[in-house]
Amino acid sequence: MITITHEDFDPGAYIDAARDRQIGGIVTFTGIVRDDGITAIELEAFREAALQELEAIGEEARSRYAIQSVDIIHRIGTLSVGDHIVLIVVGASHRGDAFRACEYIIDRIKETVPIWKKEHLEEGSRWVPGEHS
Amino acid sequence: MKITVRAFARFREVVGDVTALDLPEGSGLPALLAALASRSDESRDLLVDEQGTIREHIIFMVNRKRVSRSALDSIILAEGDEVAIYPPVAGG
Repeated sequence: MITITHEDFDPGAYIDAARDRQIGGIVTFTGIVRDDGITAIELEAFREAALQELEAIGEEARSRYAIQSVDIIHRIGTLSVGDHIVLIVVGASHRGDAFRACEYIIDRIKETVPIWKKEHLEEGSRWVPGEHS
Repeated sequence: MKITVRAFARFREVVGDVTALDLPEGSGLPALLAALASRSDESRDLLVDEQGTIREHIIFMVNRKRVSRSALDSIILAEGDEVAIYPPVAGG
């Protein structure tokens, strides 16, 4: 499943759902709101384009690595320290492709998916600068 | 011709989330940006430099396809197009 949602998710449920007789390893990445002295963080997406881009990244990962399944869940809305931001679950016959595909997917998300973060602090708020233009 | 502009993140805060523009036939992205920039001093500072050149950090999508920097000047917009403008992304 590839989705953008306001709702929290249970990584364990997605790991269980990825199980299959052909899958020998499941690698996950969970992004979490870090305590950088913030009171909250707000995630904004160009939802239609972001979903289209996440689908494309999932397809790229499938064509580059021998993997059987890809799930990407990205949250938007107002989040607090410790909240989940993103979950990537990759299932493959062998661990090497699962690890590499998972890293590829999170790196590509940071490069191209139109999602932004605004940090709220006691003294105001600031947009997190993107690294790729 | 009618063009819809959608802006996101910091750009949304300055330009507004959805803007309907009426541009002359044959207009491209520089004309669209000039129209947006003329709406307020804050918009102008955000979108173009002192020479009126499109600022480098702006990312464009036309009908949800990313426009490469080298194609910025060559795209001709058409009636009903949706143009998105936004700063470098920071998701994940």
